[in-house]
Amino acid sequence: MIEFFTAHGALKPFFDGVVQGAGVTLYASSLAFVIGLVLGVMLMVVRVAGGTIARTLVVVYVSAMRGTPLLIQLLIAYYVLPAIFGINISPIAAGILALALNTTAYVSEILRGALSTIPAGQAAAARALGMRQWEVWRFVLLPQMFHRAVPPLTNEYTVLLKASSLLSIIAVTELATVARNATLQSDLPLQVFTATAVVYFIMLWSASSVSRRIERHFARLLPNVH
Amino acid sequence: MYIDFDIVRHAAPALWQGLKLTATVSVISIPLGIVIGTIAAYMADAKHMALRAVALGYVELVCNIPFLILVYLSFFGLPKLGLQSSAFAIAIGTMAFYTGGYFCEILRAAFRSVPKGQIRAALSLGMSGWKIQRYVVVPQIFGFLIPPTVSLTIMMFKDTAVFSVMSLPELTYQSNLMTADTFAYVEVLGTTALIYWGASALMETFGHAMEMRVRRWSHR
Repeated sequence: MIEFFTAHGALKPFFDGVVQGAGVTLYASSLAFVIGLVLGVMLMVVRVAGGTIARTLVVVYVSAMRGTPLLIQLLIAYYVLPAIFGINISPIAAGILALALNTTAYVSEILRGALSTIPAGQAAAARALGMRQWEVWRFVLLPQMFHRAVPPLTNEYTVLLKASSLLSIIAVTELATVARNATLQSDLPLQVFTATAVVYFIMLWSASSVSRRIERHFARLLPNVH
Repeated sequence: MYIDFDIVRHAAPALWQGLKLTATVSVISIPLGIVIGTIAAYMADAKHMALRAVALGYVELVCNIPFLILVYLSFFGLPKLGLQSSAFAIAIGTMAFYTGGYFCEILRAAFRSVPKGQIRAALSLGMSGWKIQRYVVVPQIFGFLIPPTVSLTIMMFKDTAVFSVMSLPELTYQSNLMTADTFAYVEVLGTTALIYWGASALMETFGHAMEMRVRRWSHR
């Protein structure tokens, strides 16, 4: 079993690039997630409190992002956006952009779901106490919404981390690309992709363990809210 | 921005061929995955520890390995094991395997939604395991199952795009051929995205209608 993976230096090209590849995978998905969180909050507020036209635009955006494959979104970010705007965009920038715009749609829906579990009376009561609309959001709605949204949001991060392997399609040198190149050098796909799967497994497993821990932590903080 | 509809017309037949293959792969592999997932879900609750370990290990594998890596592993790896099969067969197998892991999770969550007391009550009434499933568990979980199963179906339908990396001539692959042919990225990729979007929206509408229907006779 072990010889299967060590024979002919099967994994050497993979091990040479694995740390850098995993680093790019983590960097791209984390940056995309942070951008997606910020944009997702803004989209959610527009969806809930905006005018008819703005709300419709958000609904269409969310539906389009959730209705098309991420792979197609990546290709559009890499090939179509530069053509439309006449700019040059690096593969990694296009990749992070597409991941971020994709996760924005999911984040805004997660947040909207979390918000809808807060009784409507709370906002009305806050208004009746003389709070301004922005104060209601700042002190009443958003803090509770984030508390409730933490478990699904951390789950969304692991989904993003997993999906970031598709960046290899537009030639970003992340983990999956490192693996693909290593198989081209060694012609030992079984060994290399098994090792890749193990690296992804460790990354995703750790991310979801942290996510479960955060979930428990927040469950304790909010004992009587469901 | 200028859109050349002649290119859309030129690309349409190839994209239609691609969509047919995408639909074929989805229609075969997703139900197959649901069957695998159902078996895994019952195994995960089995008395025998080995059965449980296999089912839970399977779910962990699917949840923690990117679909692309699994596709690479089966497409480039299986021939090295002496298993020669077509890209189509590998696509069906990989997708059914992946769908099964997710469906197992959905089904297990649905099982947990049935209060344990009901199962004990049914047992004390002398119902057999099969009858408990047939008359107590399954009728109650149907309504619970539909929304996540529709989401899973749409997710896997979209994931068929990944099969373009193994030259399976499905929608994304045909779209790539057409962009290579015409260099009209805006028109071809735009049309492809609209096709995927339309199909997903259709499935979502259909799923919603089904949910409403089931709610009428389901207990929850």
